[in-house]
Amino acid sequence: MNTVFKWFNDRLPIVNTFERHLSKHPVPKKVNFWYLFGALASVVLIIQIISGIWLMMPYQNTEEGAFSSIEFIMRDVDYGWVIRYMHTTGASMFFAVVYLHMFRGLLYGSYKKPRELVWIFGMTIYLVMMAEGFLGYVLPYGQMSYWGAQVIISLFGAIPYIGESLEVWVRGDYYISGSTVSRFFALHVVALPLMLIALVFMHLVALHEVGAGNPEGIDIEEHLDQDGVPLDSVPFFPYKVLNALVGIGVFMTVFSIIMFFFPEAGGYFIEKANFEEANPLSTPEHIAPVWYYSPYYAMLRAVPDKLGGLIVMAGAIAILFVVPWLDRSKVNSIRYKGIFSKIAISLFAISFLTLGYLGTVPVTELRTLMSVICTAIYFLFFFLMPIYTSLESTKQPPERL
Amino acid sequence: MIKIFIIIFSIYSAPIVFSAESAPCGDYGECDDYSYDLYNNESLQKGLATYINYCYGCHSLKYSRWGRIAADLEIPEEILFENLIFNQETKPGDLMTGSMIKRNAEEWFGVAPPDLTLVTRSHSPEWVYTYLRTFYEDDSKQYGVNNLVYPGAAMPNVLSHLQGKQVLGCKEVPVIASNGGVKRDENRNDITEEKCGYLKIKESGELTQAGFDSLIYDLTNFLVYVGEPAKRDRERIGWYVIFFFITFTALSFLLYREYQKDYH
Repeated sequence: MNTVFKWFNDRLPIVNTFERHLSKHPVPKKVNFWYLFGALASVVLIIQIISGIWLMMPYQNTEEGAFSSIEFIMRDVDYGWVIRYMHTTGASMFFAVVYLHMFRGLLYGSYKKPRELVWIFGMTIYLVMMAEGFLGYVLPYGQMSYWGAQVIISLFGAIPYIGESLEVWVRGDYYISGSTVSRFFALHVVALPLMLIALVFMHLVALHEVGAGNPEGIDIEEHLDQDGVPLDSVPFFPYKVLNALVGIGVFMTVFSIIMFFFPEAGGYFIEKANFEEANPLSTPEHIAPVWYYSPYYAMLRAVPDKLGGLIVMAGAIAILFVVPWLDRSKVNSIRYKGIFSKIAISLFAISFLTLGYLGTVPVTELRTLMSVICTAIYFLFFFLMPIYTSLESTKQPPERL
Repeated sequence: MIKIFIIIFSIYSAPIVFSAESAPCGDYGECDDYSYDLYNNESLQKGLATYINYCYGCHSLKYSRWGRIAADLEIPEEILFENLIFNQETKPGDLMTGSMIKRNAEEWFGVAPPDLTLVTRSHSPEWVYTYLRTFYEDDSKQYGVNNLVYPGAAMPNVLSHLQGKQVLGCKEVPVIASNGGVKRDENRNDITEEKCGYLKIKESGELTQAGFDSLIYDLTNFLVYVGEPAKRDRERIGWYVIFFFITFTALSFLLYREYQKDYH
């Protein structure tokens, strides 16, 4: 056995890679629950890939077959409903943990030097996930799949000059049809998952190069033992693995409660209108995106002009990429930042959640006004960041964890 | 900080933010309460019988199979074939596609009667339960009836001989003061006013009101079942899965605590 292993290890860096990225990889010894969501995101990614492969087997990517093949999965495929609900619950839970993971980054300055690239890879993952989620939502070909796609694809039409031809190019037809379903299927199951996996790999490689952050926002590399290992770290295995396992256990309990008892989550994970087959001749009373897009949808609706709305919506995501260069604070963690940062991040969180709510309900004048205010707060949080982070007085973080 | 929160919460508590939605049951307002019971096979069987006798002529259940229903509802196949399946060529594995041709149906009703396999999921059980009980006489309509939950419904009330003739009437209701209490006159009697739009039975049918409600209860219960036949299994298996993960969490926590002693 040993000779066989040695033969391989001489030709492939098995032990090295395993030790560097898993067994001996040093991680800060004191972190809080916010640091679990990265591990949870990778658990959901695996759930999505595995359930997705099994869903693909009976699913039909045609205009006639899409909706009824989903019902076939729900009824006639053995335990098909388990696989499908796993995938629908997984989609929402993926966004839930990723939003919390991103907020952790904002709270503790996980994007700050030297972790800028980790942040940028992460943001790219988020962007690809949004596309992946949208494409997947069209596949069951229910009323909300159809009309949601109609709204989103028509956004391309707002782009000057090339808009209309771009719309046709994306749909593969003059209206949403079987060609749209089959191309979205290809992108959803092959193209974007490949990108996601590659990006997650880069995210982790970059992270392991610079080391994980901590809630104090201090650099644990400054105090090393004689072997060059940070004094305030523990090896990933078994300590952090066990820590993550507890988190995974709690998370999977919540996941199962939703999946087995509330798979529609009151119309937020699976919308009611999606239990009706797509019908180009009848518009649903109220078109709402799934909850994880709703903050951006509220921003889109807050701007009266379609192109303007598109720019605001794209800008809201684009601005996240440059956060590492907007934060001028001397400290990383919110614990040692000044009062302005604390107020700013609270207002930002409240306005993002409010936008999320506003994006799921029909518009009224008051709600539009609230969307405008919250959109403004969202952008001001970023635009003013260089000012309030450099002006405010900060507290001195401790030397050690 | 606290001031900001107070302002935010006072905006949220303003009813105007939440008031734009139309009522879930149309002109009827809030739907009547409904709670399904998927373990009550007798109710499901009665619901199936009502469905086949009164609804299936127009409304298919095209994602559902005869044999699956018979197995789930514990109906012996001979009984199913003798009493509920009228087409001799039907096999147990066949989908319940109905017998009405779509083109004819469109000619007769203006729109083809929709498939109802998923109706309790695209609306809600409460909606279906309320809808089926709120037809009333309305001569201005094609079939002489209208519906409070879904005004302008293009469907005749096929159950009217059971329910009786229902009309919209008026009745005396207490006047509510702006503080939410009932207004009273100087003799402490409730002040009432006449309000219209209430359903009442003008001419009773073959069933009592309670009997009819129970018929619709069973029918809705069956439609909840057929909307998701795996629901019963799902909720049963769910407990085992949750139990597994709770045990998993507890054990991994104990192990984690043990190892944590190494560095604390």
